Amino acid sequence: MSDLDDFKATYFDECSELLTELEEQFVAIEAGERDADRLNAVFRAIHSVKGGAGAFGFSALVGFAHAYETLLDYVRDGRIELTDEVVTLCIRANDIVTDHVAAARSGEALPADYGMDEKNRFDALARGDAAEDDTAGEPDEEFDIEFVPVMVNIGGNDDDFPEIDDTFEALPMAGESGHWEVHFTPHRALYARANDPLLLFRELAVLGEMTTKAVLEEIPPLSDFEPFAVYCSWEITLVSETLTEAMIREVFEFVEGDCDIAIAQLGVGTPPTAEVKAALVHPATPSAPAMAPINLLELADDEVAHLLEFDIEPAAPAKAKADVAPAAVAVVEAKADDAPGLSFADIADSIKPAPVAKVALAPKVVITPAATPETAPGEEGERRSLGVQSIRVDLDKVDRVVNMVGELVITQSMLTQQMDETLRTRYTELVRGLEVLAQTTRGLQDSVMAIRAQPVKSVFSRMPRLVRELGLKTAKKIKLETVGENTEIDKTVIEQLSDPLTHMIRNSADHGIESPEKRLAAGKPETGTIRLSAEQAGGNILIIVEDDGAGINRDRVLQVARDKGIVAPDITPTEEQIDQLIFAPGFSTAEAVSDLSGRGVGMDVVLSNIKKIGGSVHVRSWTGRGTRMTLRLPLTLAVLDVMLVKVGDSPYVVPLSSIVETIQCSRANFERVPSGGQVLQVRGEYVQVIDLAQRFAMTTTTEPENRFVVLCEAEGSAKVALIVDDIIGQQQVVIKSLEENFERVEGIAGGTILGDGNVALIVDVQSLKTSIIHKNAA
Amino acid sequence: MEALGLRDDLNDKSAAAAQNSLQLIAFSIGEQTYGVEITTVREIRAWNGATPLPNTREFVRGVINLRGTIVPIFDLRARFGDGQTTPTKNHVVVVMSVGDKWVGILVDAVSDILTVSRDDIHNVPEGNSIDTELLNGIVTHDSRMVGLIDLHAVVSGARMDN
Amino acid sequence: MTALRVLTVDDSRTILAMLHHTLSNAGFEVLQAEDGQQGLDVLKTQTVDVVITDINMPIMDGIEFIKNVRATGNHQSLPILILTTETSQDKRDQGKAAGGTGWIVKPFDPEKLISVIHRVVH
Repeated sequence: MSDLDDFKATYFDECSELLTELEEQFVAIEAGERDADRLNAVFRAIHSVKGGAGAFGFSALVGFAHAYETLLDYVRDGRIELTDEVVTLCIRANDIVTDHVAAARSGEALPADYGMDEKNRFDALARGDAAEDDTAGEPDEEFDIEFVPVMVNIGGNDDDFPEIDDTFEALPMAGESGHWEVHFTPHRALYARANDPLLLFRELAVLGEMTTKAVLEEIPPLSDFEPFAVYCSWEITLVSETLTEAMIREVFEFVEGDCDIAIAQLGVGTPPTAEVKAALVHPATPSAPAMAPINLLELADDEVAHLLEFDIEPAAPAKAKADVAPAAVAVVEAKADDAPGLSFADIADSIKPAPVAKVALAPKVVITPAATPETAPGEEGERRSLGVQSIRVDLDKVDRVVNMVGELVITQSMLTQQMDETLRTRYTELVRGLEVLAQTTRGLQDSVMAIRAQPVKSVFSRMPRLVRELGLKTAKKIKLETVGENTEIDKTVIEQLSDPLTHMIRNSADHGIESPEKRLAAGKPETGTIRLSAEQAGGNILIIVEDDGAGINRDRVLQVARDKGIVAPDITPTEEQIDQLIFAPGFSTAEAVSDLSGRGVGMDVVLSNIKKIGGSVHVRSWTGRGTRMTLRLPLTLAVLDVMLVKVGDSPYVVPLSSIVETIQCSRANFERVPSGGQVLQVRGEYVQVIDLAQRFAMTTTTEPENRFVVLCEAEGSAKVALIVDDIIGQQQVVIKSLEENFERVEGIAGGTILGDGNVALIVDVQSLKTSIIHKNAA
Repeated sequence: MEALGLRDDLNDKSAAAAQNSLQLIAFSIGEQTYGVEITTVREIRAWNGATPLPNTREFVRGVINLRGTIVPIFDLRARFGDGQTTPTKNHVVVVMSVGDKWVGILVDAVSDILTVSRDDIHNVPEGNSIDTELLNGIVTHDSRMVGLIDLHAVVSGARMDN
Repeated sequence: MTALRVLTVDDSRTILAMLHHTLSNAGFEVLQAEDGQQGLDVLKTQTVDVVITDINMPIMDGIEFIKNVRATGNHQSLPILILTTETSQDKRDQGKAAGGTGWIVKPFDPEKLISVIHRVVH
């Protein structure tokens, strides 16, 4: 892959971020938030898309983005009013930009007139208020330079300067002697902007044979010396056959306006032009008296010597320092304290009437102490480590670290398990070391997880558009509220979230929210609301999709479930169980399948997708008032806090997040129900009992009173009591997929590898509970 | 070990013959010999137990940890309807790739590496439905009958509700 | 000779990546910041030889950034090049008024970029 491809990949990544941001911004703008910050953000996003596109020569994209940017610029500065019509146009424009980006990415060409209508509307809008501005429309020709990375020789010659501006085109001159005289008087502003005469001279020197003469008459006695005043100007002669005035002007491009400059060609026998004469007669204009010490500080002394055409006598640093005006010392005072014996009295003594030498010597002095910290030990390392504020890393690399840390956690817990009492008492140092290891491992794990955490915003931001489309297609009025979009969750979880959320929102829009007429008839606001929220609850993230629609039609759901044999005729499920049925595999209310939610996939896909990432779904509905679907997701996919239990001879783990408490069976309060089954009474509540050994067909030899109840909370308020043979303890495990090499197993959410290398299965509490209905029906 | 066998065998064969020939890993279940194409075999390990999987049929012996990934183990004897194997340390798990998945097959022992000609593969005679379902063909080697295992068929229908 | 250190400030990753590539190939040591505020933060702890900054950036734009740099005592002689796609003269003028040393027009030609840097750096 070439560098260019790398850059393109970066660019397209960036584009998708920018386009996501655009979408977000326009959701707010649509909602009436039209402040300057948003408009600026929108402008910047398009500007950045355009900038990159220009670099790669995506001219269609540049063209459209430029027109759009111009419109946004006008909107930003108030020349165009941001009406709803303009907002709609912008949203459409975002789509077109997206399409252009996609086309650029795939290398396919869009029709030449793609987006032309919108572009014309931009132009019309722009013309309406700013007819004189002709920048809207075609992209600037600057954008057609294609970026080709090349190796550049740092010391290469400087004859490849930027294009010469037409306005500076040299006039034809009489006498082609190529002998030029330049009088250059910098202003204070030139130094203030960090330009440096020396660099200009260096550049000039490349153009031809050069001599320089410093005009030093204006330099005052040191007592009157102002450190930031400018006292020095230069007379420069350049000799070259090919030299033009434009080439000289070019050198001074950046300092135009910050200096007085007079350029004249002196042909053999040609008298100096009036301008040059004037310059020579008045070498120092009042506004440009001399040279700023701060720039001299940077001159190497041989360069100074060359410039000033003086022989500089070697001077002791301390003495030379004294030659510098006090204020100049002040500039570097923090660094000048390596001459402790030096006082202002010394400085005063050393002042001699040779001003030129003073100026010339000054730099040598100051440059030395100023350079000291550069080489100070430690400085170098600090510089490097602080250089980059953030880096972007391939997710693959992070995943590798996450996996390795996961394995490290296992190894660490395995080592801890190996420690028996004898070892503990005999090797206290080892025990302490293991404790530190455990702590460090935990810290490492948290840090690694934090790297992958991202706000759910990236998924939420796709939903407003979905709701907009759904509203249009269903002829319903729907608004979307989002809450908690900055909640952070593992990136891999986020990636798996988009499809289920899309499904759930479609379901709400399609089946939940009623038509405006029905809503009005029911005394509800005409516009239905879908509320999408995210919050952290312990080790989980809850994502809730709520609507204020009609609620689940339980009669119909139950009827369909019975027809499909999902619920046996003799079973009467509770309302909550009926609600949950919409996620049951094979359940799809065929009659209700519409163009939107249907497409042959039911909500069971949501459930299986969410389960795949270790989450669960719960639905609760209130007739006439609405439906709430709750996704409970792990903060991270990688590690789970669990309780390790034994069922028969096999190890199982139960996610700690779903455990309410554990009770010894001998102390538990079981009751018989008429069907012959058992229920557990806990604090006045009757809880369904599931004997895991029975449920998983394992033979158990444990006496019933020695077994344990693991009281779990499934989604919603309902609890379930799991009976296990033994409780081994809590630990962290790395979740492994069963489906990678096998298939989904009912009642099991996945597997994990224990410290001893054996596989333990993760109990899927939620599915155990919901499967009761199926089991009885079978 | 199987890799060495493979190399020796290859050296013996001419290119043309190799093209039409098939290399099998042969393993035994009781008196029966079965084979799978050597290219599907990932590794051979001694039986070291497996964590039982609930809600699966009896021929699914459970799952094992294969260097950090979970791999299901199928009991080939049980798959042929002859009841579960009572495994000992001498029993062997042949880990193979089926599609993009890795699975382990529990067998009594790995017996040989065979090179057979594709022309010598016979259809499975009609009759026993399990045989026709689970075998791709039959080949004779040293007057022994070797059943060619259809791995996709073996691993399908593992879940209780199927 | 130690490498010249360049601080590049741009909210576009693409541009940062291109600058990084071009400059590091040319032997520069490249530091990066994604907006003016980050740029100032870098300058608090780092010594650089030249700054290349975008104008349009979130949080703190290039103009503010340059003003802030110039307001800091020891950065008065730090060359700052304005990197911008702006074709209009006014952005350049604003940048220069704020204390910008020179400018580079995006999309940049690598060789020109280097030569412009050498125009303002020792």
